[in-house]
Amino acid sequence: MIGSIPLSDVLLASGALFSIGIAGALLRRNAIQIFLSIELMMNAANLALLGYGAAMGSQEGQILVFFVIAIAAAEASVGLAIFVALFRHTETIDVNKINLLKW
Amino acid sequence: MERLVFDVAALVAIVFAGLMVIGRDPVKSVLALVVSFFALAAGYVLLLAPFIAALQVIVYAGAILVLFLFVLMLLNVGRERPDGMRRPIQMVLGSLAVLLFAGLLLGMFRATSGKIPFLARPLSEGELADPAALARLLFSEYLLHFEAVSVLLLAALIGAFVLARREDA
Repeated sequence: MIGSIPLSDVLLASGALFSIGIAGALLRRNAIQIFLSIELMMNAANLALLGYGAAMGSQEGQILVFFVIAIAAAEASVGLAIFVALFRHTETIDVNKINLLKW
Repeated sequence: MERLVFDVAALVAIVFAGLMVIGRDPVKSVLALVVSFFALAAGYVLLLAPFIAALQVIVYAGAILVLFLFVLMLLNVGRERPDGMRRPIQMVLGSLAVLLFAGLLLGMFRATSGKIPFLARPLSEGELADPAALARLLFSEYLLHFEAVSVLLLAALIGAFVLARREDA
């Protein structure tokens, strides 16, 4: 319990968001939307971390979320730069049409 | 009351996350995710993390998703065309993997949510929500990690610059 919020509500929301994110990452073909789904999964993990941290009475959950947000910022900038470079070469960001690494 | 507000915020976040995944227009997807992240920020306040909620609004919804919008406008990506590239086996296996994963996650959370290891001295609600205490923890015990993240951000900055620049420039 955090205040009057049961931990199970937090975990259920987190699990639902993570599952939606993984569905997007597996089923979409637009690279940007796959990337957005990955951001969503990070946020679902953040929600679980904050829920557990608050339920334990510890601030370390918040510290972890702080680092996750910083790393997400780094990941987003590099990922988007890759998409820009990819689009220059192939004129598409549909992942079914990009097979540079396929032998 | 708090529970009701949290549940409503979580529901809004989940609904807009669903819209993000379903939508065919990438710009609308980004905007739906912005709404979802704002709702999550409201949830973070109720989970006694107001500083993280502020970071969520400023860094996530404000900076990262606006970067996505910039790139979308730059690349001028249209809607995803429902053409012959759709692969049924990918849809079937993907859906199966999502269902299996959701079940796994649910079972894991059910198994652990009743057995939280309490600390010897759990913080009170006021202490948990105190950004000054968070900063003291961050700049003492986690100082090394903090510095490592700053190096990582610098590396990401240089990497993004090298990746995205034109070869002839």
